[in-house]
Amino acid sequence: MAEQALAYSLPVDTRTVRLKWMVAALVALAAIAVLPEVLSNYWLRTFISATALAIGSLSVSLLFAQLGMVSLAQYGLLGVGGWFALRISHGFGVPFELALLTGGIVAAAFGLVVGLPALRMRGLYLAIITLMMAGAIQVLISAFGFPDGGAGFLGKSTAARIMMARPHLAPTDEAYFRYAMVVLALCYGVVFLHVRGRPGRAWAMIRRSEVCALAGGVHIVAYKVWAFTLSGFLAGIAGGLLAGGVGQLDGSAFPASQSILLFALTIVGGAYSWMGPIIAGLMLRAFPALLNDFHVDGNIATIVFGAGLLHSLMTAPQGMAGQIQDVAAALRKRFAGKSGAGR
Amino acid sequence: MRWKSALLTLAAVTIAAGMSVGHAHADTAKCGLSNGKTAAGDPIIIGGIVSVTGPDNFSSSGLAAAAYFKCLNANGGINGRPVKYVLEDDAWNPEQSSQLAAKLIRDQGAVALVGNMSFVDCGANQGIYEKEDIMVIAGVGVPRDCFFQKNYAPTNAGPRVSNTKAIMDLARTYPDKIKRVVCIAPNIPNVGEWSCTGAVSWIKTKGGDGKIITFDPGSLDATSIVLEAMAFKPDAISVGTPKGLAVPIFAAAEEQGLADKVHWTGPASLYNLDFPHAIGKYWDGKVTVDMELKAADGNTPDMNNWLAVMDQYGQKSDPRDTFSQAGYLAARVTAETLLKIDPAKIDRKSVTAALRSVKKFESDILCAPWYVGDGPRHNANHTGPVAQVKGGKLVSKGECIDAQDPELDDLHAYEKTIGISH
Amino acid sequence: MPDFTPFFVSGLATAATYVLSAVGIVVLYRASGVVNFSQGALGALAAFVSWSIVEHGGPEPVAWFAGILVSTTLAFLYGRVLAARLAFSDPVMRAVATLSVALILLGFMGYVWGEAPRRLRLPTDTMSFELIGVRVTGTRAVAFALAVLATVAVMTFLARSRLGLQMRALANNRDLSAMLGVRVLRADGYAWIISGGLAGISGILLADLQRLSGQTLTFAVIPAIAAAVIGRFSSLPATVAGGVAIGVCEALLTPVPVIGPFRTAVPFLFAVVALLWMQRRFTFAYR
Repeated sequence: MAEQALAYSLPVDTRTVRLKWMVAALVALAAIAVLPEVLSNYWLRTFISATALAIGSLSVSLLFAQLGMVSLAQYGLLGVGGWFALRISHGFGVPFELALLTGGIVAAAFGLVVGLPALRMRGLYLAIITLMMAGAIQVLISAFGFPDGGAGFLGKSTAARIMMARPHLAPTDEAYFRYAMVVLALCYGVVFLHVRGRPGRAWAMIRRSEVCALAGGVHIVAYKVWAFTLSGFLAGIAGGLLAGGVGQLDGSAFPASQSILLFALTIVGGAYSWMGPIIAGLMLRAFPALLNDFHVDGNIATIVFGAGLLHSLMTAPQGMAGQIQDVAAALRKRFAGKSGAGR
Repeated sequence: MRWKSALLTLAAVTIAAGMSVGHAHADTAKCGLSNGKTAAGDPIIIGGIVSVTGPDNFSSSGLAAAAYFKCLNANGGINGRPVKYVLEDDAWNPEQSSQLAAKLIRDQGAVALVGNMSFVDCGANQGIYEKEDIMVIAGVGVPRDCFFQKNYAPTNAGPRVSNTKAIMDLARTYPDKIKRVVCIAPNIPNVGEWSCTGAVSWIKTKGGDGKIITFDPGSLDATSIVLEAMAFKPDAISVGTPKGLAVPIFAAAEEQGLADKVHWTGPASLYNLDFPHAIGKYWDGKVTVDMELKAADGNTPDMNNWLAVMDQYGQKSDPRDTFSQAGYLAARVTAETLLKIDPAKIDRKSVTAALRSVKKFESDILCAPWYVGDGPRHNANHTGPVAQVKGGKLVSKGECIDAQDPELDDLHAYEKTIGISH
Repeated sequence: MPDFTPFFVSGLATAATYVLSAVGIVVLYRASGVVNFSQGALGALAAFVSWSIVEHGGPEPVAWFAGILVSTTLAFLYGRVLAARLAFSDPVMRAVATLSVALILLGFMGYVWGEAPRRLRLPTDTMSFELIGVRVTGTRAVAFALAVLATVAVMTFLARSRLGLQMRALANNRDLSAMLGVRVLRADGYAWIISGGLAGISGILLADLQRLSGQTLTFAVIPAIAAAVIGRFSSLPATVAGGVAIGVCEALLTPVPVIGPFRTAVPFLFAVVALLWMQRRFTFAYR
């Protein structure tokens, strides 16, 4: 990982920062208010999935941008979180929020287990070992089978299927989309607090140089483990949101290949920017939905995906978010006439 | 040219050639009012969800329904109103399936869904189907959910009924020889184990014993599955898997030379024109396959009409298999039901009520009358013949068998009340 | 107590498939430092091309040659033209780039051939012999033999020949190798040719032994990576041993009551344990 400037931690003019944050907050509020009304039902459901996957992508980019660690198991953790959220909801009839949190916590525990080998490995070996774990999770999920609507904790349905209950606040698709966006904002908030706080500084130091971090008294093991746990938690929340969106999850929908795809598209979206996970979520769900809307053969969509991914990897290391920021900076330069202080 | 379409064209031509002398599909297709007038009124929107991209291409049912509706529109439509049939691909993905259901039902205002054929649709969309009270006259249902919903009525029989009939036929053909049965299925919980339980329950009522073997579809080791099955020392083995997964299992069985040691059979998922060629000459005369509907070369009026509809209004590449028959039947029953409604009052509510009141739909493609009814679940088709792999083709044995699965008892009771007996 | 012996043999048979794929992956890694996720997809394409030619009445040797030629050419084109642009990227990025090739090929195969019940047959299918009560076709024996042969051939090539030395140098440190006068692009190209050829051969054999399906063969690369992991991505004999161990253990678990349905997790669990074992001495990062 080269000396990438982390977008969160550049020294900038505080007024500009406050202005930017206000604008961002306004845009987010506008999106939450307006978007559900404007979208058709097809796109509403697509965007619900995209939002959930944006949280999943956030979990990947957290590990990658903060610690330079590649985890190819995040989609599997998403599945684990979704599984537990479904089971708690079916088995004990608890409110959606509790099921969601439980899914997140259990996935965090699994994330911890995935992260333990990371204490000794980095780079390609870490990626491979997480991929192997994703494979193991895939087998576990499909052998155990997703709860398919039966009563009780492990119940498999023998008659009509029970769907996962939506939150009391958000029974309709429109309301659920708003709910999902709020959860996404909260997840961003959690990550932001971490990055700006002590963990973020510790992670930055570990990333730059573990020797220095050790010398500086940073507890490397604890912070690495914490990163994996947090990213597991985020993945679990994403899984729970997905489960609530559709009402059920399919056991074969969490293969290891999806974890690789999630990582790949997070890089394409831009792991170092806050925009990246949102772009990744849109690409994972909104782009195929767009192609399907125009009745483009699904295989063509796969080809386009692969070609786009290759192109991105070759030409845009900072991802699409980086490209967008470059364009924005160039425009700002042109209009403001200043040189250099673009951000 | 795509190899696949070449192969299927060849298969379609073979069927046409194999049919009796000089008959049938030269006739004009008859649909709905059959008056030859192009319908030009206010379109009625009907949707369909199939699974095309992915582990297998499950779309023949939707394609057949599309052909039928084209034929209908060329023959007066629904009392002058054409049907706009919107067919969508959910790529085996439940999220995508739920998006498409919202699109068809809420965005486009479909009054019914016809010709569905998807592994994930039944489970993912049960909520929206019941909430919007829209009827789905599916071509083909596979998972258990498709047969346990208030708003979903498939014209096919389903893998559970199919496996049961396959074993029943073997027991009939070899009396007193079939005592131990193994049923192999993929480990998807609401498909695999459920689809085999019927056959095993039935053999147990006859004093035999059965074993269900579920396996991971991603597994690459068909030989172990076959060995596990043989360890039970069965008399019959039903390979209750989609055709793509069945071919390696039959290949592994061939490798072990098991065709003469055990009787082999499979459900209607294996009833596909490519299947005999794929498993090869070794299995000639050694495998039976259950059919949910009658054989395509039966040369009966409705059967020929289906082929005529496919020839005149379908594509050359559309498969003419049992699922295509199911899609045709689904479209036909929907069209005939809609024709009975006042054309000005066709909306979702009236269509749902009319479809629920279908109590006796007959066709020579079916072995018994089909119905929808207002019960909590629908599995009206549980009678059909069985075919044998012979000479590179699937040849029907002729006799209709009624599945004696204990799980169907509630349906048998309902059928008595509406006057259908077998 | 269930009888395990037939499963031992079927496990050896499955092991042949794991070993074949894994050897290809290890070879490319040793020669260019890239974990090739598109190994399975290239093999599947070779199998489809072969199958199509045979279905249209072409002679079998021509079909096999054509299939292997296709996979080799595509691998070479990718390696020489596209992968070269990423040569200075992170190994993970280069691996993910091969995934994009896999996706393109997967979509292409799905579009042209689709999923239909097909069987790829080889003349060795009809020859068989018995091993502890289980019949093993000639094809499996050929696959095993080819895997071992490929291993030995590549090992010798890498150890003894000049080009092999250059490839190993390249994988070790690209910049230094270039400075020392190694013709980087040429060595790279040859590495991809060898890998593509192996992918084609293993693809045709796998399609015969398992299933002629684009999806299955493409993603069979993941358990193959597990075998490669056990070989530490460097030792070919260890890869063969790893592949055999995975195949046999997975099959042996089939009749075991509770664990049986989970046996497809064996490759992954073995790989995780192997990786942890390999890294058991704490490695400190001097940066």
